[in-house]
Amino acid sequence: METSLAQLSIADAAKKLKAKEITSLDVARACLIEIEKRNKSLNAYLEVFADVEEQAKQADARRTQDEKEGKESSPLLGIPLAIKDNILIEGRVASAASKMLEHYTASYDATVIKKLKAAGAIFLGRTNMDEFALGGSTENSAFGVTRNPHDEHRVAGGTSGGSAAAVASGLALGALGTDTGGSVRNPSSFCGVVGLKPTYGAVSRLGLIAAVSSFDQAGPLARTVEDAEILFNTIRGEDALDSTSISETEYPKRSAPKKVGVPVSLLAQGMDADVQKKFDEALAVLTKAGIPWEPIELPTLSVALATYYITNFAEVSTNLARFDGVRYGLSHKGENLFADYATSRAAGFGPETRRRIILGTYVLSAGYYDAFYGKATMAREQLRREFVEIFKKVDIIATPTMPCPATKIGEKSDPLSMYLMDIFTVTANLTGNPALSVPMGTVAREGKELPVGIQFTAAHGDEAALFTIGKTLERGYAH
Amino acid sequence: MLSREDIEGLATLARLQLTDAEVAGLQTDASNILGYVETISSIEVASPVGVTDTTRVPVAPLHHNIMRADAPRASDDSLAGKEEQLRAAFPAREGDFNVVRKIIQKDE
Repeated sequence: METSLAQLSIADAAKKLKAKEITSLDVARACLIEIEKRNKSLNAYLEVFADVEEQAKQADARRTQDEKEGKESSPLLGIPLAIKDNILIEGRVASAASKMLEHYTASYDATVIKKLKAAGAIFLGRTNMDEFALGGSTENSAFGVTRNPHDEHRVAGGTSGGSAAAVASGLALGALGTDTGGSVRNPSSFCGVVGLKPTYGAVSRLGLIAAVSSFDQAGPLARTVEDAEILFNTIRGEDALDSTSISETEYPKRSAPKKVGVPVSLLAQGMDADVQKKFDEALAVLTKAGIPWEPIELPTLSVALATYYITNFAEVSTNLARFDGVRYGLSHKGENLFADYATSRAAGFGPETRRRIILGTYVLSAGYYDAFYGKATMAREQLRREFVEIFKKVDIIATPTMPCPATKIGEKSDPLSMYLMDIFTVTANLTGNPALSVPMGTVAREGKELPVGIQFTAAHGDEAALFTIGKTLERGYAH
Repeated sequence: MLSREDIEGLATLARLQLTDAEVAGLQTDASNILGYVETISSIEVASPVGVTDTTRVPVAPLHHNIMRADAPRASDDSLAGKEEQLRAAFPAREGDFNVVRKIIQKDE
């Protein structure tokens, strides 16, 4: 049987498009066929756009025009992508998978969307996520869970679960997600795709629906490291409209990665034995390829998760204060102004969002601020310094991306046990370092092969090291 | 453990209506979660925030101000010309106006 064009990597599709072996319309239709087959059960897309074929025809016309003018086309010209539902595309709904914004239509393009449009990419639809990017399994979506393509009884991970499931199952060639505490890397690990959380500030956040502003970054999900790199190079860059964005020269250039550090004491806690085995194998593959590892100590890692969640609750409660039913979004009328706010927010926000707003209000309230938010801010700065120091000794920090393979839907009903799964991913958001999840094989569960990922973290601004080591690992597995 | 009154007080501050069942659920969940994140109190922090030893750290501290150049520049406001789209999102509309509740009134 011929493999569907929807299974191509972006790089391979770009070559075939350039060589005129295929058209953008062919690729887009191949994705639409896969979507028709699987989206109903997977629930990866909340909406598939009606004009996909039209977009593809325009991309094909643009290629002809580019050739006529002797212009080099972007490798993303005519490539169909999935976009997470918290990234604004003008004229389309962006709901952040929340009842609060169910009928909200974006009034402008996010900068990342502007850049993808300029490159000529096609948008297939908007993908499911945990409401307002709060969660780790896409079970917190107001519009139903996204199922894992490798076992539909299991979660796809989150919060960018729809994007990861779409890329893993051929419903898109690549995708954009956002990463606040692992939201690109966690579903990448569970679904078996590559996911990048760029350096804080490397990608503009104009037009992203904010969750935790001091953590949020948009990042690509793709089938290969090379594809993730293509997407990152297209969306990156300083933006005058996002004062937290940085220029490409903000951090010093570093040489290619030679040494990996593994925080062994962090790995000692609560790791799945099969995941540990895969991780050891991946390190052996890298050693064989000339990149050895050594144990490292990062003392403040022991409180990273607590630091992360305190900051998350605090910023979520303040960021989501903007949803008051007055200017846009769900609006209920009560007996008085207070009731207008309280009932609109009760009806618009799901249980996890409400829980975090309450917790954020607590950690920021007078009497508790210093003990929680104040302390977390200091611990965060300390951890960041430890990272800066350790990157003088090693080029990459490696851990598994997640301590386990995808969990069953409904398995983690206690919110704290769900939070504890983020142990490896939250640190890169705390410190602002870039981090990449790359598939490191599968583990067997109940007759199904479930993917697991390895996470590489690099020095600030050193995405290049991540792509290099990621490709080294991919090549190592291929041999 | 957080009391019912604690949760209700926080809900009032957060402008959030909660059901009785939710308040009870949050008493348990929020208490467990806060019990976990309280582990933060165990760590000793080397120096206060803002006092960053720049000789050791080659990058700016986490929290620092970013000022743009005080120079005129072309407007590139992404919302320029989008007034009608913004108005279309109003929950209630009269002409070009957003209908809101009168604030200065006796609520209670």
